[in-house]
Amino acid sequence: MNAATSAASSTGRPLPWGKFASYGFLVLLAVIYLGPLLMLVNTSLKTTPSFNRDATRLASELHFENFAEAWEKANFPQYMLNSALYAASATTIYVVTAVFVAFPIARGYVKYSGVLLTLFVIALFLPPALIPQFQLILRLGLYNNPIGYILLFIVNPIGIVILVNYIKTVPKELDEAAALDGCGYFRFVWSIVLPLIRPAIATVVVLHAIGIWNEVILPTIYLTNEDYFPITRGLIVFQGVYGSDWPVLASAVLMLTLPMVILFLFLQRYIVSGLTAGSVKG
Amino acid sequence: MRKTNLLSLVVLLILSMALIQPVAAQTTTLRVLVHQNPPMVEFMEAFNQAFQERNPDIVVDMSVVNANDLSTVTQTRLSANDIDVIDMFGFANAVQPYMDNVDPPNWQQLADAGLLMDLTDQAFIANYDAATIADAGTYDGKVYAVNLGRVSYSGIYYNIDLFTANNVTVPTTWSELVQACETFNAAGIPCMTAGGKDGWPIFVGAYGLTGALYPDQAALVEGLWTGTITWNDERALEMWSRMQVYTRDMIESGASGIAADAAPGRFASGAVAMFPGGTWYAPAIEAAEPEFEWGYIPFPGSENAEDNQYLFGKYDQGWAVAANTPNAEAALLYLAEFSEPENYQAFVDAVGFIPTQPTAQLNTRLGEQVAPYLENFRVGYEQYWVSPRGVGQYANPWASYFQPFGTFDDPQALADTVQADLQSGLDAAGS
Amino acid sequence: MIGYHFGRGRARWLPYLLLLPGIIAYFVVALGPSLATSVYSFTDASGLPGAPINWVGLDNYEEFLFLGQAARDNLNAVGRTLVFCFFVTTIQFALGLLVALILNQKLRGRNFFRTLYFMPVILGAVIQGLIWSLFLYPLGGPLAKFLEIFGARSEFLGAQPTEAFAWVIVVQIWANMGTTMIIFLAGLQTISEEYYEAARIDGADRWQVFRNVTWPLLTPSVNTNLLLNVIGSLQAWQLFLILLGYRNGTQVLGYLIYATGFGQTSGSVTSSFRQGYAAAASIIMFLLVLVIGMAVQTVLRRREARLMG
Repeated sequence: MNAATSAASSTGRPLPWGKFASYGFLVLLAVIYLGPLLMLVNTSLKTTPSFNRDATRLASELHFENFAEAWEKANFPQYMLNSALYAASATTIYVVTAVFVAFPIARGYVKYSGVLLTLFVIALFLPPALIPQFQLILRLGLYNNPIGYILLFIVNPIGIVILVNYIKTVPKELDEAAALDGCGYFRFVWSIVLPLIRPAIATVVVLHAIGIWNEVILPTIYLTNEDYFPITRGLIVFQGVYGSDWPVLASAVLMLTLPMVILFLFLQRYIVSGLTAGSVKG
Repeated sequence: MRKTNLLSLVVLLILSMALIQPVAAQTTTLRVLVHQNPPMVEFMEAFNQAFQERNPDIVVDMSVVNANDLSTVTQTRLSANDIDVIDMFGFANAVQPYMDNVDPPNWQQLADAGLLMDLTDQAFIANYDAATIADAGTYDGKVYAVNLGRVSYSGIYYNIDLFTANNVTVPTTWSELVQACETFNAAGIPCMTAGGKDGWPIFVGAYGLTGALYPDQAALVEGLWTGTITWNDERALEMWSRMQVYTRDMIESGASGIAADAAPGRFASGAVAMFPGGTWYAPAIEAAEPEFEWGYIPFPGSENAEDNQYLFGKYDQGWAVAANTPNAEAALLYLAEFSEPENYQAFVDAVGFIPTQPTAQLNTRLGEQVAPYLENFRVGYEQYWVSPRGVGQYANPWASYFQPFGTFDDPQALADTVQADLQSGLDAAGS
Repeated sequence: MIGYHFGRGRARWLPYLLLLPGIIAYFVVALGPSLATSVYSFTDASGLPGAPINWVGLDNYEEFLFLGQAARDNLNAVGRTLVFCFFVTTIQFALGLLVALILNQKLRGRNFFRTLYFMPVILGAVIQGLIWSLFLYPLGGPLAKFLEIFGARSEFLGAQPTEAFAWVIVVQIWANMGTTMIIFLAGLQTISEEYYEAARIDGADRWQVFRNVTWPLLTPSVNTNLLLNVIGSLQAWQLFLILLGYRNGTQVLGYLIYATGFGQTSGSVTSSFRQGYAAAASIIMFLLVLVIGMAVQTVLRRREARLMG
């Protein structure tokens, strides 16, 4: 996969005016993208009365104590660790099982692989099933239990579709050659296919982890012991029914998103190429 | 491979998380669920601390959830039998004999399903006034909840400094209110603010108007159900016309973008003269600007000053106990200690509810302000009304249907729509 | 089935064995509960333990679709969902394609722009909504101040339903355009340089190159994006909840179902536990999304077959 390097100039050499227009457009759009984000940063640095008086004005003094307050009030250190554990473990379990689902389907190594793939595509349409799912976890005895909570996140149909499509771009001759060398099925998938589909894995990891990290409703329902709370559950202390503290909330939100932003920046170079073969086929 | 190590690490972590089970075996863990309301949560944390010190064998495990999620979490935690003390919100609107084709409110479903403990014989029930126990705790002859406080939603906060500076006296009639707003508007001061973005602060803010025109709200609800009152009769039209003045001329332009939780801060910043809102906003206003000088009056919805002496409102939060709790003794002890007059007084001081224990007093600025009207406290429409299935979205006496919060700008057209939306449900119930 | 090289006999079962955990998880955690929902939809289940459950046939569906003015409100929400889907899909698709085409060129700062446009995806709906509530704060918020320069004003999210609804469309596109862009970028990179060379030798101008080379070869990404945008916008509800709340004239089906699940229904002041009814509402949405999604899928497949010969 050297698509990333060869494709840079694929639409050809634009004329200077074209480049100019391109930049104009990009910058305009960037304002719409940056504006709301900068507003969040600005708010996080203000005091509440100053926010109420003039929401937009640039923070005159930088009130970093909002961050300290948010850090402490929302129990950041512990909840963040929990969030990281949930995201890491559920994503790992999901990706590992998904690779062993996607590979044989992409290769047709199991019967009815077409049907199986359709099943996963249909899952994109499935209705929410909050209460039945709750009763399931409850009957399994995994309510208010980290394992039960992780279990909620080990399915993600979109990831299967991305993996299947990407695996199709891996030449099939590879399988034959490896088998001739006496390589077993498990070892082939685990140590040969896996590294080859790294871009697709990176994409799926980011998409899946983001979903877990940002989940707000499920932790409220499934986890009642504070020791298990993820960070989104901690944010509740900033919300009142009758009055909210915007600056502290903004600081908390900034700190909350930072880990996912870092994860994304880290995996970014893989992500575009990970979706390369991306077409949803049922 | 690196991947393998990572995997085993994760598995190890999961296992260790599963092994750290909370709670030692000896003690009772009392599970309490409350909705997020910062002053109340702060009080409860202190109370729990003291409770645990007095009862070393009990550990209180209190969960806080958003008010929106309270009913769902109550439902799931009851299913899991993972709750002892329940936060009961809105113990009102019992289905009446003249109603048909309605869904009972959450608390009634809980009681009917046998999920709430009968508290009738508990000694602490006697600490609360009889009206509270009857109106917001009793169902089918049994007491299921103790209610912790009344709130009024039909008052207006006013900015004392702005009133003095502009020589405006506190309005006692509808015309005086209109006049006051004209004075402020002319001086470039927005008359009222409210959390218009969320809709409900607008219509709740005008409940005083409805109250002034329909002083007996229980009769209003029965009249609507039986057809003796309609939302497009003459009196209703007067109500709609005034509501339009309220939404169009009194509330500041831009209020339709202010969220409910931002409105008290906006008022406390001193930029607006008045803020129609419930008594529950007082702590938020004080938290936003502790030095700010404000007063609270009933909404003068009628031309007759006598009719404007009433505060309409509702019962707020209450406590109930799960019927299937394995910790019944601890749960009842918790309620009993909470209900002790000095603890209850501390609760009222913190939260600002109008007390439901006769011995307690609201010692805050709000308490001072509402004291003259407490004799005239009345439960409002919202606590009696239950819609039949099938009613349309405009089936209530809500000022928020008017522009700029809603789409209507003609009282007659709105009145007819509201009645039609209500009637479609009543017709479905009748057939 | 042909061409499996990793052994016969017992070894042949290894792929099935390793496939099993993923499939079981899918059946247990996703498909099972959804099937249970469809069963619930024919009952009057409240969802409370110990409460009786009765079979009520199609009553819940009948209520949602036909009972009183509430049914009119529900159907209006369905209509609004389709409008939302149309605007979000077309604008997000066009914008994502345009941005991807530009960012596929050699440009200074390319990575910065890519990262910036993808950033909202990372934030999740709750924070996206929060950020825009701040940005659109009508009293002295940034956009309000900007409009003030021109003597204009708006209440944005609190404005009349049509305008408020339009803002949700804007935020939805802002939030998800990054994914569309990334998928298009990925698609563009699979198009070999040779095709462009050939087109240029034939003297094609930029539009013709796009029309005859890029567009047809981009078919897989076009299909993926269209399907994801259609499904995503039909199911959207979180942004409505955070940005607008339960407001007459703005609800879409997804939000209605959320509200029903949490006990609210049209015009009611009390809330009740009605899992059966909520389940019926979500099955109706499932069918709507399925029908539209499958229709889109079929059209796209035909087009693909035609293009690819």
